Amino acid sequence: MAIARTGVAPKSWASRTWWTFSTACLIAVIGVLFSIFAFVMARGFPAIKLSLFTTSTHGTAGGLLNAIAGTFLLVVIGLAIVTLVGLGTAIWTVEFAPLWAKRVIRFMVDVLAGVPSIVVGYFLYVALVEEAGWGFSLVAGAIALAIFMLPYVVRAADVAFSNVPRTVREGAVALGARPAMVIFSIDFPWALPGILTGLLVATGIGLGETAPLIYTAGWSNYLPTLAPTHSPVGYLTYVVWTYISQPFEASHQLAYAAAALLMIFIFATNLLARSFVEYRTNRSR
Amino acid sequence: MIVTNPDQTSASTAATKLEARDLNIYYGKFHAIKNANLSVPQNCVMALIGPSGCGKSTFIRALNRMHDLTPDARVEGSVLLDGENIYAGGIDPVTIRHRIGMVFQRPNPFPKTIFENVVYGPKIHGERNKKKLLEICEKSLRGAALWDEVKDRLDRSALDLSGGQQQRLCIARCLAVDPEVILMDEPASALDPIATSKVEDLIDELKKEYTVVIVTHSMQQAARISDFTTFFLMGELIETGTTSSIFTKPKDKRTEDYITGRYG
Amino acid sequence: MASMDIRVGDTARAVSPAALQRSGSQTILAVLTGLAALASFAIIFLMLFFLIAYAYPAIRFNGIEFFTSGIWNIGNQYGSGTMTRNGFSAQPGASFGALVFIFGTLLTGALTMVVAVPLSLMVALSLVYTVPKRLRPIANALVELMAGVPSVVYGLWGMVVLVPWIGEKLAPWVTAHLGFVPFLGGSAGSGNGLAASVFILSLMVIPIMVATTRDVMLAQSNSLFEASMALGSTSWQAMTRAVLPSVRSGVVASVLLAFGRALGETMAVLMVCGAAINSYPENIFSPVNTIAAVIVSQLESALTDASGMAQRSLAELACALFVITLIINVVARGIMRGADRREGRAA
Repeated sequence: MAIARTGVAPKSWASRTWWTFSTACLIAVIGVLFSIFAFVMARGFPAIKLSLFTTSTHGTAGGLLNAIAGTFLLVVIGLAIVTLVGLGTAIWTVEFAPLWAKRVIRFMVDVLAGVPSIVVGYFLYVALVEEAGWGFSLVAGAIALAIFMLPYVVRAADVAFSNVPRTVREGAVALGARPAMVIFSIDFPWALPGILTGLLVATGIGLGETAPLIYTAGWSNYLPTLAPTHSPVGYLTYVVWTYISQPFEASHQLAYAAAALLMIFIFATNLLARSFVEYRTNRSR
Repeated sequence: MIVTNPDQTSASTAATKLEARDLNIYYGKFHAIKNANLSVPQNCVMALIGPSGCGKSTFIRALNRMHDLTPDARVEGSVLLDGENIYAGGIDPVTIRHRIGMVFQRPNPFPKTIFENVVYGPKIHGERNKKKLLEICEKSLRGAALWDEVKDRLDRSALDLSGGQQQRLCIARCLAVDPEVILMDEPASALDPIATSKVEDLIDELKKEYTVVIVTHSMQQAARISDFTTFFLMGELIETGTTSSIFTKPKDKRTEDYITGRYG
Repeated sequence: MASMDIRVGDTARAVSPAALQRSGSQTILAVLTGLAALASFAIIFLMLFFLIAYAYPAIRFNGIEFFTSGIWNIGNQYGSGTMTRNGFSAQPGASFGALVFIFGTLLTGALTMVVAVPLSLMVALSLVYTVPKRLRPIANALVELMAGVPSVVYGLWGMVVLVPWIGEKLAPWVTAHLGFVPFLGGSAGSGNGLAASVFILSLMVIPIMVATTRDVMLAQSNSLFEASMALGSTSWQAMTRAVLPSVRSGVVASVLLAFGRALGETMAVLMVCGAAINSYPENIFSPVNTIAAVIVSQLESALTDASGMAQRSLAELACALFVITLIINVVARGIMRGADRREGRAA
């Protein structure tokens, strides 16, 4: 290679080696994900039978009805709480807050995202289950999930509301619309996809949480009674955790089935959230 | 500052440093450069002019195989450095870029110190000796007419410099790898007039040691600083010659139309 | 999930209707949403305050021993009388030393980062550079999907697949053949332990770091990469020595956040760590324990402590974990906002 100058030069083969290695890392990481997914599905899917949806857990086996119902209720109520508080926070931050307050709130919300789930759970255990005397309950569990989901919802809503174009709002104000009116009739529709994406992301997280619920919702082998307090609730993640440790094959089956159901639900919300993002970016602005 | 162009009758005896032969460049299906043939003599300044979109940037990027970085781009033909084709199979483009350096339109210093920026090239080529690196740094900064302005703050961030200084830093960075050819893609278009004139003075100095090919959208700049000029239009190399002959006696009507300002 | 760290502008503020008019509906709205915002703001303080207040008896009772002793003993519930220290009482023989758990938490966290950070950088670089454009959305989606897998499912896989593999294949081989290396020799253990915990935790934090690193690299324009290539570098050098350093602050922040996450992870660790009480790991296969895992695993036994001191000590543990992760989080967010301000983006 007469054209190359003699002397030191970067080795292209080194570069190629590194890139190969980095791709290998990517494949390895994705490979592990696949194996986890395949593992759960392979063992869980066959265990999903109709009876799972019609019977509750009893003792060490049974169905998943109570757990599914419990998860559903906990997440829905948690979402209700977090939508109110989260949207309210976002609206206040975007509309009414002075600049310094904006920074503070956004900072605090970001920090909240990093609080370990077990800390939230223990706090609520101490505050609600014990001190306030609610016992293991639906509401305590829902609040635990709400606290957890809050940062995601607030952030998504914050961005969504902030991105409403000035011109559209000006138009409404110029027509004499009152502030609340503008917010509800202009901002909301525009921000809706972003908010929904945030809620979906939060749902995915709420579905998969265990630690905060252990201390707040407790566990129950029975269908949730809709009593807000003094009535523990079952949920899917608990099944995965405890039933795999039992020495019975039937229990394991249940654990795998619960895990498979969880993966399916979470995967579905993930897909939904992604397609919302697509919808949002494809919408002409 | 106006630099008078010497009438380069001696040009024909200067060795050809860089030559493009039957160069065709495609972006996907788009035929961006059609059959370009060009000889660049050693130690001169060759300006590439033409209206925007005519392909001069595309052409110059082929000269140091920057199109290798673009997956859609395809280069056919050859580019000869001292007679050897840089596109020959088996040639590692990385080695080409030692010998043919490039300065870009927008200054792009790394977010590192001034010193780190200048010695980046030698470092990745394996130079470790701290003393040697300092020497290279000083030499390059002097070569870029920047030494006096920054010699006391080599360890400060390069991003603190003004736009013009940053561009000269990029030139110094380019000089530090000791190239033989320097390609410049509209190096002064993002700079203010004072900075521009400093860079133009610099180019005039550089041609003593290096061969310079410069893309410019300003005919006045080409007239000021270059020895040779080449006119591009819609991907075709229309005409090339000494700067004085191109600007006073263009052979092709299209060149004449451009020079006289019929189209921008 | 992709990290939703987005810098927001203040477009709305300039023409906020609130700034223009005062009316009844606006006031009600302001008050209601203000309350919501207050709740979001205050929740952290509320948690901190409450936990500290509840743990106070334990804090006084345990004193400095909490951090220096590794003996966790809820005492003898059948013993007579009580132990009293600093005015607070517990069951006789009780001693709550959390050193094992604090050490375990920091050790697993640190080792996880040692493993996960280089891997994440590699994966992010690959996503940005080597993966062909068509496959990129799929690859990105897959990596982000990893972040959505529930902790218990990771734990499940860990228990059923990883731990047996470590216990039956990896550990015996390593201790037999590489036993001369410090911390690799000794007992092969059951598979539950430090190695399993670090493995699982790495899987859980990699997606976070990859998503952020990838995002900040993509947001960087091509110019630094081109500049480096034009100077005759290889593409690997260009990426690692020109592009990556330019996004250093974003990467550092995401590493810190991932570290915080690893420290606070509960279920997956609980299921594979081996639940060490009162013992320190002798090699990478020994059982360990983390604060988060211990709070869950010790609750039932803590409930048998009539004096309540065990529960309060668990709360003290929760406080310790809370404070550690708070500090890490605040520092990380500070780095990110500082970098934003320096680079001219809105705070």
